[in-house]
Amino acid sequence: MKQRLAVFAAAMIAALSIQPLSSARAADSAKTVTLGASLQLTGGDANLARYFRDGYQIAVDRINERGGVRIGAETYHFALKILDNQSNINLGVQQYAQLVTREKVDFLLGPYSSSHTLSESSVAEKYHVPMVEGGGAATQIFTRGYRYIFGTAPPAEHYFGSTIEMMTKLDPPVHTLALLTADDAFDVAVRAGTKALAERLGIDIVVDEVYPELTPNFTSLLALVKSKSPDAILLGGHEAETLNFMREAKSLDVKGRYLTSLTVGVPSHDFRAALGKDAEGVFGMTPWVISPVMRDRWFGDGQQFEQLFRRRFKYEPDYHVASAVAVIETFAYALEAADTLDREKVRDTIARSDFESIYATIRYQENGQIDIPQIVIQVENGEVVPIFTDHFLSKPNYPVAGWGKRL
Amino acid sequence: MLLAQILLNGVLLGGLYGLMALGMALVWGVLNIVNLAHGAFVMLGGYCVYFAFAGLGIDPFAALPIAFVAMFALGYVLQRYALNLIVRSAQLNTLLITFGLDVVLTYLAQLAFTADFRTINPSYAGANVTIFELTLPLLRFAAFIAALIFAALLWVMLQRTRLGRAIRATAQNLTAARLYGVDPARLYALTFGLGVGIAGAAGGLYGMVSQVTPYIGATLTAKSFVITIMGGLENPFGIVLAGIVIGVIEALASIYIGPTFTDVISFGLLVLILILRPARSMRTA
Amino acid sequence: MLRWVVPLVCVIALAALPLTGDDVLIQYGIDALLFATLAQAWNILGGFTGYVSFGNSSFYGLGTYGTAIAMAQLHWPFGVGLALGALLAVACAVLFGIPILRLRGHYFAIATLGLSATLAAIIANLDISGKNIGLILPLTRADNAFYEEALLLLIAATATVAWIAKSRFGTALLAIREDEDAALVMGINTTRYKIAALALSAFFTSIAGGIHAYWITFVDPAGAFDLTLNVRMVIMAMFGGPGTVFGPLVGAFVLSTVYDVLASSISTAAALLFGLVIVLAVIFMPRGLWDLAGGFRRDGARYFLQNIRAHRL
Repeated sequence: MKQRLAVFAAAMIAALSIQPLSSARAADSAKTVTLGASLQLTGGDANLARYFRDGYQIAVDRINERGGVRIGAETYHFALKILDNQSNINLGVQQYAQLVTREKVDFLLGPYSSSHTLSESSVAEKYHVPMVEGGGAATQIFTRGYRYIFGTAPPAEHYFGSTIEMMTKLDPPVHTLALLTADDAFDVAVRAGTKALAERLGIDIVVDEVYPELTPNFTSLLALVKSKSPDAILLGGHEAETLNFMREAKSLDVKGRYLTSLTVGVPSHDFRAALGKDAEGVFGMTPWVISPVMRDRWFGDGQQFEQLFRRRFKYEPDYHVASAVAVIETFAYALEAADTLDREKVRDTIARSDFESIYATIRYQENGQIDIPQIVIQVENGEVVPIFTDHFLSKPNYPVAGWGKRL
Repeated sequence: MLLAQILLNGVLLGGLYGLMALGMALVWGVLNIVNLAHGAFVMLGGYCVYFAFAGLGIDPFAALPIAFVAMFALGYVLQRYALNLIVRSAQLNTLLITFGLDVVLTYLAQLAFTADFRTINPSYAGANVTIFELTLPLLRFAAFIAALIFAALLWVMLQRTRLGRAIRATAQNLTAARLYGVDPARLYALTFGLGVGIAGAAGGLYGMVSQVTPYIGATLTAKSFVITIMGGLENPFGIVLAGIVIGVIEALASIYIGPTFTDVISFGLLVLILILRPARSMRTA
Repeated sequence: MLRWVVPLVCVIALAALPLTGDDVLIQYGIDALLFATLAQAWNILGGFTGYVSFGNSSFYGLGTYGTAIAMAQLHWPFGVGLALGALLAVACAVLFGIPILRLRGHYFAIATLGLSATLAAIIANLDISGKNIGLILPLTRADNAFYEEALLLLIAATATVAWIAKSRFGTALLAIREDEDAALVMGINTTRYKIAALALSAFFTSIAGGIHAYWITFVDPAGAFDLTLNVRMVIMAMFGGPGTVFGPLVGAFVLSTVYDVLASSISTAAALLFGLVIVLAVIFMPRGLWDLAGGFRRDGARYFLQNIRAHRL
């Protein structure tokens, strides 16, 4: 017994003494600003979090290539420290704390998805470390009076905003709609905003259902929707759910009489590829399209950015990637404007951000979130076509044909 | 009519659920192994069919036997060289080891296949017919029929063939079966392989109606649990029936109570059934 | 008397740890201590009574949510929150214990799993718990305090287990584990003892959950009732040695360190390696480290082979 206790004590001491070794940081090479993030590199969100991993990486590399940032008389380069939280929010929260205390990063970058950002931003607030995120759109993140969180993803409440405005201007106009949203932070916000707007514009919501996140089965809801025959179906969810929905909708022959719109998926290439021809005519939205209009200090214009990105990562970037780039650029501009690494001063400078990037004109509202309009898009021949912002950009394929019939 | 459509959806969904649970029930009933990695095998089967279809152009239904054989081989090897080593230790250990297996398989799948969504999308994927105002999704219907066929084949195999009798004998009394010349190591491996093979085929069908990612396993394991408990370990048709019952209950609950309550109902049922069927608790094995 | 020197020294060393001021170590310590408590609490039911629970996450989750609802929604202090969580967990243990503890073996494990999943699903539908989004607790930076609280909880749990190991209560539990029917025949009111064990297990588990919730400042159904949590606490207890007083502690500390080191260096592969560790541990040392220490001294490397031979087909 005594010997075992001794062994046990030795094991514990050994266990504890390994820790200080792992907390020692490698000696710093000249002048870096370390940006830390805990991303969902594996797990259910991995398919989308990779956009952030790649977006952060290309921005950091490009800025470093182009001379880094000047703070005071010195030139600094960015370094990234990314941990994998396996799509587990609890682990994410712990990892953000580790990034601050163990890795001693200078600033924090956000994860993908509102659910993660909602809780992981608390760590930033707790430790007074500015965090800029590009993947959390739920306004709930920004209504808590937090000072250290800033977001480049536009408010979830307004996701369907331009779509609904468009619906009133179409011919034949949309009078009834079915609203299906998931129960996570993002979609709860989408539902609230969409309901308010639809009611204000006089559109009747004939189906309003909340489904559990990650549900693999929409068949009952689809049967319900079909029985009400709405003019439009609006679906709030994340990639996995919208994909499931579309496939089940096809097998049950359910579509909005005039149109169907999804909060996510349409702008992403592999989503459209997974659906193939079934994606034809589906509406979606994005705050960003690849265009030569937005110009940027490091990437030139949107098209040059897209080419650079595609050459390196072998897939077409979507708004998540652009949002991630804007996050890094926010830090670059803020650090130069503040001329210091002091977190309080940098935080204040971020709040005053005002610059052009390939993503959008970056200006944060009082609460820390950006507010840029969503562009309504539609799938035509496998490609994404911008249709409407506050006016029509091009003529939509409308009303969209049912499943079996192709115009 | 809405109710009729919902019932139909529930039945068809339930059939697929039942097929998925068949593999778990077989392994549980014969080997007394509760396979927490079950969903991972379904997932791998799904990938088999996906690559056969997307990579080699083989029709998904024709690829189902390929998935079955591939997964059978995997299951056989796993049982023979890993699981057989712990069959006689505490029951807890099979739960733990299959959990560990699940973690490993999921990780390897993510490494090999990435987290991209894979849909098995043959040209007939969304086909449906309308009969008396009811829409019948043909693919789901085919999956339902496949479930019935598999159950029937399994039943026939267990009841009428020598192999089946050997399996049943082993399930009832290992020592006696040994005395009759049954080689337990190979038989166990065969049974596990069979269970995993069926899971793999179910995965292929699942990939046709939904999508395949490395992470679909967990919910499918949970679902299979509920159905196995409900359907019992005696009869394959019991499992399919249980699957249908669960499918219908979920479909109805989704509309008449609320979609967010389906899990409350499924798992609540699981607990209730376990509590209210005391005869089962006597089986401590 | 001397037997208590080693544990006492360890306790003092652990309690003094925050003095090093190393944030990283303290955070690792909180995590390890909480897990050790979970493993120890599980040990009461799984190790001593022989009822393998795969649903202690039910109590963990109730403890988590009790604290979260009390602090975030009702604005009550932390202590009250912990008490609320413990109350919910123990009530649940007694209420569901009566029917569920009639089950044996696999079925008991699955029933507890089902209970945890059902609770998670119910909580995901309630407004007061923030539905599926969860709740955010008041922000606080008090790692040292959390550390000492976690340590205190672990000491309480271990002391309880030490008491159980020596008392008649413990003997009854062991009798139930070895042969429940014989115990019944001998006149032991097995139901009462089992429920008491479950309630004790629930109590400590829920307090650990409450502390964790406040420390992390966030709760949601998926995290609170996480299945993998169950497996981790079981494997820690098992790895260390179920049915012993110090086994679960050893298992918890060793595995926590392994997992922590992996997660910070190769984060992605941490899960994979953890899975492999579980598989190998179950095959080669199913009775835990505590047993390994004794067995290895006795038989050397043949200990592993003996294990396999004893358990293989």
